[in-house]
Amino acid sequence: MARIEPEVRIVDEIRAAGGDTIKKCYQCATCATVCPLSQDDLPFPRKQMLMGQWGLKERLLSDPSLWLCHQCGDCTVYCPRGAKPGDVLGALRNMAVRELSEFKFLWTFYNKPWGLPIIFVIALFFIVLSLSFFAGGVPGFFSWDLIPSLGVEEVHILFLKLSSTVLAVDAVFLPLAAFVVIMAAIGINRLWNGMCQTAGIPAAYRLGFGAVVSSYLVPAIKEILAHSRFLQCGANQWRATGHRMLLWSFIILAFVTAVVFIAADVFGFHTPWPLYNPIKILANIGAILLLYGVISVIVNRLRAAAEGKVTSAYQDWFLIYLILAVGVTGLLTELLRLAHNTFYPGMYALHLTTVFMLFLSVPYSKFAHLIYRTTAYVFDLYVKDVRAQMAQEVVEEGVGTPEEEGESETPEAAEASEEAQAS
Amino acid sequence: MAYDKILVVGGGISGITAAVEAAEMEYDVYLIEKEPSLGGRVAQLRYYFPKLCPPTCGLEMNYRRLKTNPRIDVYTMATVKNISGGPGNYKVTLEIAPRYVNENCTACGECEKVCQGERESSFDFGLAKTKAIYLPHPMAFPLRYVLDKEALAEGDLERIMEACKYNAIDPDMQPQTLELEVGAIIWATGWKPYDATKLDNLGYSRFANVITNMEMERLASPNGPTGGKILRPSDQTEPKTVAFVQCAGSRDENHLPYCSYICCLASLKQSLYLAEQNPEAEAYIFYIDIRTPGRYEKFLKRAQEEARINFIKGKVAKIEEDPETKDLIVTAEDTLSGKRVNQRVNMVVLATGMQPSLAVEGVPGVAVDENGFVKLSEGMYACGCARMPLDVMTSNETATAAALKAIQTIVRG
Repeated sequence: MARIEPEVRIVDEIRAAGGDTIKKCYQCATCATVCPLSQDDLPFPRKQMLMGQWGLKERLLSDPSLWLCHQCGDCTVYCPRGAKPGDVLGALRNMAVRELSEFKFLWTFYNKPWGLPIIFVIALFFIVLSLSFFAGGVPGFFSWDLIPSLGVEEVHILFLKLSSTVLAVDAVFLPLAAFVVIMAAIGINRLWNGMCQTAGIPAAYRLGFGAVVSSYLVPAIKEILAHSRFLQCGANQWRATGHRMLLWSFIILAFVTAVVFIAADVFGFHTPWPLYNPIKILANIGAILLLYGVISVIVNRLRAAAEGKVTSAYQDWFLIYLILAVGVTGLLTELLRLAHNTFYPGMYALHLTTVFMLFLSVPYSKFAHLIYRTTAYVFDLYVKDVRAQMAQEVVEEGVGTPEEEGESETPEAAEASEEAQAS
Repeated sequence: MAYDKILVVGGGISGITAAVEAAEMEYDVYLIEKEPSLGGRVAQLRYYFPKLCPPTCGLEMNYRRLKTNPRIDVYTMATVKNISGGPGNYKVTLEIAPRYVNENCTACGECEKVCQGERESSFDFGLAKTKAIYLPHPMAFPLRYVLDKEALAEGDLERIMEACKYNAIDPDMQPQTLELEVGAIIWATGWKPYDATKLDNLGYSRFANVITNMEMERLASPNGPTGGKILRPSDQTEPKTVAFVQCAGSRDENHLPYCSYICCLASLKQSLYLAEQNPEAEAYIFYIDIRTPGRYEKFLKRAQEEARINFIKGKVAKIEEDPETKDLIVTAEDTLSGKRVNQRVNMVVLATGMQPSLAVEGVPGVAVDENGFVKLSEGMYACGCARMPLDVMTSNETATAAALKAIQTIVRG
């Protein structure tokens, strides 16, 4: 019999993180039944409420169910005790992001209101430093030529011909991107191992990175692009539209950024490109989608709050308004540039600052759901397969002779360990 | 000068008990009832707790005490319109709705035979119909017919007046207003089954075979719509599998925040009804906690032995209907196994909770708490389910206590 050691400190932590209603739950499991995403084999969020009440932090934070929830609020509406399971899961996700991250002080800056100016100053510092370094300051605001020799129109590195602004941007964002990717990889790895351990997947069924990506990432991404799970929440359909628009706008903007990066930085087609350029048109469509998406997310969240379905925490609003800031500063930059306004470089610097904040937030803010929810989707598809295989094996064991049973198990185990080695 | 009479509002088991207990202590009592007959909820049951007696048992004994005691004035179809004054000297205005049938009625039933118009039987929760002229129920007190004029068919009135040999039909009867002077008031206004249509995820009224526990009592009752045979509404077949949904509205902040006390026992009892009619019938009781207060724990053991009951610890939050068979698929998380159960059953019984009648239809001059239970004060007492959710036995004990408190108010002046 497993011995449960309730951790009162953890319970207090959950309550402080926004799950203040957790202790009201009396385990009737209404939530796990009304939830349209909850599964027969692994229903949630009733168990998560209990684990929270007992303070079982490790098990909770490596629970894929946390990320399979899209917080439609049905559980909160039907909860007979006002325990708000939807909000508690939101708080737990927030805690999970912290646990999974490296350099936790960055999480703190991103998730406490007092950290906002710090994050802003950090971002501004790097942007201004880089612009001063490579482009001689921000025209119209200040000129601070750190290295006069670099303050030239074009820099030649090998066959690359980079404008000073491009160099300034790359000098900040390439290392930032590398940092974010590494941090995300660390977080994903921790989450994945935790989930495998908690789910008790036998070693024979563990897959290597390559196998997981090739078999399960593509279907998971398909689900995400279609928002098929999100849309299963009946109560969520109106919310899903805004969110999906936002997702697609990010995809479009990521694509055009990649194209511009290759064309401008590698092949020397300097920006700004004319408005009739197809890539520019696509970028502007992306920008409009982003603004429309984020505004509808704001409106829908306010509506859900009015219906008592969702309580929004600082972390929720932080991400939403940061995305709004990215969109607004981006659009203003373009408009000011087209109007030949002198504030254009300043606005551009501000835009770069907000983009920096958003990029860096991927492993630390609520934005982390991008990576962790995807991971949970992948894990969910994987674990379903494993369970099906195990059930199949049980059936085979039941009818087969002991010799056959031994044989049938070996190749699979060998295959799995091969894959693990290959990765 | 203080008045020395007691008013008991509500003629169910609690009100009758309070009235006879006070009258047997030689105090004058008015016993008023809104319905055309005394009997209340108990009259609707198949068996009642603690000993699973049929309602005739307790009611007949008390009716006899009523009839033989000259100190009790009974008014049926009476509602309280106004209360003024204070402890020791209340003035209560009553309105008595016209029955259209006078004291000459012998309940011979000739009128009913010729009447063609029908009305939905509220006593049977709409599971059956009665004629426009009807006996409220087989244990009616007074044993007298009542006429629902709205339900009369063309020519009915002439036919029933002709059929009545006792000149008992009086279609010109008017509502009456009555002023009572009493020293104390006992509220025995009882309860109503919680409105199951408010539980939108449980399909009541959308799915034919989702019924309430009180409807189950009527189906099992020998004087009920099916003559005591438990048949499911969609096709009048005998259900072989029945799911009981506990806490349907009770212990729920969105509905009734309190435990209704008796529903767990009611479902156990109704599982016995099933076993009585078909020993092979399977009951599935979905519960949060099985609450069998005090000595009723023994009843849980008995039900487990005598009926085939599957207990699933988890609240039902979704019910779907198979449109072909009209069977139901009941979903809950079995919190002991941690898996979700989708149980197919022939019929679902919602163990709906008790809501105090005063929460649904308030009466001027009586203070109730946020849930509609009567707040006690000097001169105003409450008993039975007007006070809190209770079983019959405890209701009667609170009724006796309320009678004593009312007498104390009068004696103290």
